[in-house]
Amino acid sequence: MQASSGDIEAGETRYNKTCVNCHGPAGKGVASYPKISGQEIAYTTSKLETYRDGIKIGPNSSLMIMMAKPLTDEEIANLAAYLKQATYE
Amino acid sequence: MMNKYFTAFSTVTASAAMLVGFISTAQADGHANKGMNIPTIEAAEFMTGLENPWDMAFLPDGTMFYTEKCKGLSVRTSSGDVNALYGMKDTEGYSDAGSDLFCDGQAGMLGVVADRNFAKNRTLYLYSTSNKYYGDGCKTNFEKCDGNIVMKFTVSEDLKSVSDRTDIVTDIQYKPFESDQPFGGPGAHNGGRLRVGPGGYLWVTGGDRHRGICPQDGQLLCGKVLRIDGDGNAHPENNPPEGFDKRIYTYGHRNVQGIDFRPSDGRAFTAEHGPWHNDEITALVNGGNAGWDPAEKIAGRGECPDKYCGYEPNQMDAVDPAVRAAYTPMSDTRFEDLMPAAWNNNGLSQGTGSAAFLKGSNWGIYEGRLTAGIMGIAFGDTPAGSRIDIYDLAADGLSIKSAIQMPLGFSKRFRGLVMGPDNALYAATDEGEIYQITAK
Repeated sequence: MQASSGDIEAGETRYNKTCVNCHGPAGKGVASYPKISGQEIAYTTSKLETYRDGIKIGPNSSLMIMMAKPLTDEEIANLAAYLKQATYE
Repeated sequence: MMNKYFTAFSTVTASAAMLVGFISTAQADGHANKGMNIPTIEAAEFMTGLENPWDMAFLPDGTMFYTEKCKGLSVRTSSGDVNALYGMKDTEGYSDAGSDLFCDGQAGMLGVVADRNFAKNRTLYLYSTSNKYYGDGCKTNFEKCDGNIVMKFTVSEDLKSVSDRTDIVTDIQYKPFESDQPFGGPGAHNGGRLRVGPGGYLWVTGGDRHRGICPQDGQLLCGKVLRIDGDGNAHPENNPPEGFDKRIYTYGHRNVQGIDFRPSDGRAFTAEHGPWHNDEITALVNGGNAGWDPAEKIAGRGECPDKYCGYEPNQMDAVDPAVRAAYTPMSDTRFEDLMPAAWNNNGLSQGTGSAAFLKGSNWGIYEGRLTAGIMGIAFGDTPAGSRIDIYDLAADGLSIKSAIQMPLGFSKRFRGLVMGPDNALYAATDEGEIYQITAK
């Protein structure tokens, strides 16, 4: 499974491209957008794949579906790896 | 990364919650001052480690009350001590709490402002979401659902407690359930800014709470700006259309989180968060219509998801912002009482937070100009842009002469802006900081 071999640095770069605008620095969660850092890689991978498949799993699913649609398997693996260890100080 | 930058340049103080670290110095044009009084602007962390700080209110001695959306009201005294005053339901460490107060999505404990005569009456006003006045009106998203209130408190002399809670407004609508919209969670479009304006009257900003009929309905307070006295009564000179609730100063709003009063003439200006298009700065007119009407089956529109056309057409797909703006305009010109926007973010929406006029000669050429926090939302092809803007407004309030980005050297989601008694601008961020932004 690619999720276990994600590139943390590439994940951070991808995160800061779009995800940071809602979830804040290092996935800490801001405003009404939840904290997404510290989760197991399998969990984040599963969530992103679910959104990419267009499946609703929460009140802001429509936003996440829109954002996840263009993600490749590699990008999801990288994001999951980065978010597993990301912290905001 | 910003974190590393902060670490490298901040100075350590005794408390993690209070520190001052200069992190940015810049001038707007990047050049030395050549005749024009262009101030040097510096931003320093004033408080850190907060949880969604939303608004602040200062006393003349530098005492700062502040809210955290899901925690409650606290105060930072002029000596730097922090006292937790009034918490939300199930919060700990506050001297008192409201069991009816809660947060969800964009809703929670939001605006705070001190009475004009605070030195004599110790009165503080506070906006929050509450289930105390739900009654039977919150069973669906299509009912009245009075879920936002304005409270009045007396603050103790030692700044360690508040008492005498009186709910002076109890019927501002709230969105209780998820709906079929892009930002569809409960608590959406909840307004919440409080400011004291000319004459000492209290101004309350609202949002449309994702209900199509709200902004143009004369009895519902959602999508309105209110002007009231300290007991919640309408200002006697409010002039809304016939049949409207007299507390309404302006109507037809989408989600106003920014309001302040121009120092030169006292005129109210709002910063309003657009949908997929057109954030707006607007000069208010007593009784005027901001022009937002997301109701279905009017203005050439058919049915919309959950009776709300605010993101249509094709709300879940990428659409040119101009197409959406034509379908459901932020400022619909079919209204004869329309208050035209002075600024519309070039037709885009990146999300406006608070607004504050810059006061003090230390701001040089920027003195008297309006600032607004832009929270950087970037969907579709809209670029991210977390920043503070500075607007030079035309005298008639119908346009701007310029808009520039405040040269801070970093980006944050700037949620709350307010001037301090030291003529510094204080800015709360969704990331959890309050910055002190000085000019000299």
